[in-house]
Amino acid sequence: MDPVTNERRRIGLSSTPEGKWTAEHGKWTKRKFRFTRNDWMGYLFSAPLIIGVIVFAIYPMIAALFMSFHQTSGLNLSGTWVGLSNYRYALEDSLFWQALTNTFVMGIWSVMLGIALSFVLASLINNLKWHLGRNFFKAVYFLPNVVSGVATSLLFSFLFFPSKEGLINFVIGLFGIDPVGWFTNPEVARYSIVLMSLWGALGYNTIIFLAGLQSVPRDLYEAAEVDGAGTYRKWWYITIPYLRPIFVFMLIMGTIGGMKRFTDVWLIGGTAGNPGGSLMTVVLYIYRNAFLSSQMGLATAVSYLLFVIILILTVFLMLLNRRKDSLD
Amino acid sequence: MIHIRARRGNLIPEDRRVTMSTSALPKEPVRRKRITLPQLMLTLVLLVGSFIMIVPFLWMLVTSFDWAARLNISFPPKIWPEEPSIRTYEAAFTNINMFRYIGNSTLVSAGVIIISSLSALLSGYALSKLRFKGANFVLLLALSTMMIPFEMTMIPQYLLFSKLGLVDNYLAFYLPAMNYAFGTFLAKAFFDQLPSSLREAAVLDGAKEITVFSRVYLPLCTPIIATMVILLFLGVWNDMLWPLLILKSAAKYTIQIGLAMFTYNNGINQQPSIIMAATTTSLIPVIVVYMFLQRYIIESIALSGIKQ
Repeated sequence: MDPVTNERRRIGLSSTPEGKWTAEHGKWTKRKFRFTRNDWMGYLFSAPLIIGVIVFAIYPMIAALFMSFHQTSGLNLSGTWVGLSNYRYALEDSLFWQALTNTFVMGIWSVMLGIALSFVLASLINNLKWHLGRNFFKAVYFLPNVVSGVATSLLFSFLFFPSKEGLINFVIGLFGIDPVGWFTNPEVARYSIVLMSLWGALGYNTIIFLAGLQSVPRDLYEAAEVDGAGTYRKWWYITIPYLRPIFVFMLIMGTIGGMKRFTDVWLIGGTAGNPGGSLMTVVLYIYRNAFLSSQMGLATAVSYLLFVIILILTVFLMLLNRRKDSLD
Repeated sequence: MIHIRARRGNLIPEDRRVTMSTSALPKEPVRRKRITLPQLMLTLVLLVGSFIMIVPFLWMLVTSFDWAARLNISFPPKIWPEEPSIRTYEAAFTNINMFRYIGNSTLVSAGVIIISSLSALLSGYALSKLRFKGANFVLLLALSTMMIPFEMTMIPQYLLFSKLGLVDNYLAFYLPAMNYAFGTFLAKAFFDQLPSSLREAAVLDGAKEITVFSRVYLPLCTPIIATMVILLFLGVWNDMLWPLLILKSAAKYTIQIGLAMFTYNNGINQQPSIIMAATTTSLIPVIVVYMFLQRYIIESIALSGIKQ
């Protein structure tokens, strides 16, 4: 072996794997397992990440699984082994099912409305030929996205004020509609949350759709034009199929976000998910059990159920993207 | 990749025109702003939409300056405060310790931003340029943990910090900040685009690894650092769940939790103008950042969305 390669390998510049060389010279096989200076450097540089991942992601995940099989008291990790009874308790608790239903209802509506509206919005902005205008509208529609969940909830609790004084009730009052108890009527509250989150999230989706719209190859449109397709047909047959990965990405991100709803419902409905438990969500249920009634075992069991639900939904949505695209 | 937009005019150099498609070529050689009816209608529709997006902010501002609305929302809604006054802001600052909370939030955000982006840059560099044994495994491990929802790990994490006596301590924000797998992913993708020959040359000249990282590569990383800082700042500044679990004493509250706790204890629909004054104040830092970095924020979001 020539000294130059040897030196390059020692300082980690050579990309030739050592195993290849050792295969030719059997007696050097053990070198394969030796850490070079380069390897040590790699681990040293990655140490914060590796420690962070182990201590703050992998350990808690295992600890949560461990705890979910225990009946704990106070702030202890361990307790008495109770097997699956925490899971059974949660699955038999009508409040858990209520929380899951609410989470799904709010999640589905905000994801669907959010994607549909922001896609239309992005298409409109993209069709604007005026460059400055495009940037202006992007900035305006995105603005609510930088506003925190707390500020959004506080703002909308007044906008959605239940009596005629609320701005929204005032506006619909102009059309002769009676004041709606946006956040006080259990029938309506979940949909008010959907409207509120729509305001906050619309800009985010729009920005991503716009980035996607600009990546659609122009020759596809030209080919369609030659075949005599109009604006709407191009939109329907080229733009939408081409952006399917982005739609799937939005669905996944929206679903994950929707399943984790907490801040707004906690602030508006309190830990009981008022009005009438209609704003009880799964994370709120976890929070209640863990930090109000100190049932860490039950709370972690529910958090595992939540994880499994998210995982199943994600895998299901990813499969949507698998189908071979005719445009590929 | 070069995006050539179908823009009228002479901005596009002659040599690029050949790569352009026929439909994108200017129809009229003369640069002339012609407002067509569809474009006008499009603009109008978008303006109406923007108005709906902006109205909540305007209403918040008007109410926050309206001393008459300190107990009840004024009716009918005003486009100018009934009793314009900054006393609402004085009341907000005396009732809610806003200066302190904003200071605390700045401290938490700054710490998390520094730790997270450093961790991400270091590991991204190692994974991309050092290609140490097991690098792929480390990357895979880090990326797969991104799938774990925070809500699942928060209880064991909380118990861990309470065992260590770090509840009500900002270390509970700084330590988990090391785990910024998405940043690592962004940084690695960025380093992959930078030539390895820079490192090769520096190492052969006898430079230490850390010098290569900090002197050769780091100065080239401004775009990705900016992206990470923006994403982290928005995330940490607006976060509420983890501060809600960790922060117990009012003196340690971040702005979000301070605001949330005040309204939570006083009832959410009380004192409109004072709450709106506090909310407006809490938004000033992000709005200021947004105004100056608006283009970069939007680019970062688009980038992070596409990369994920």
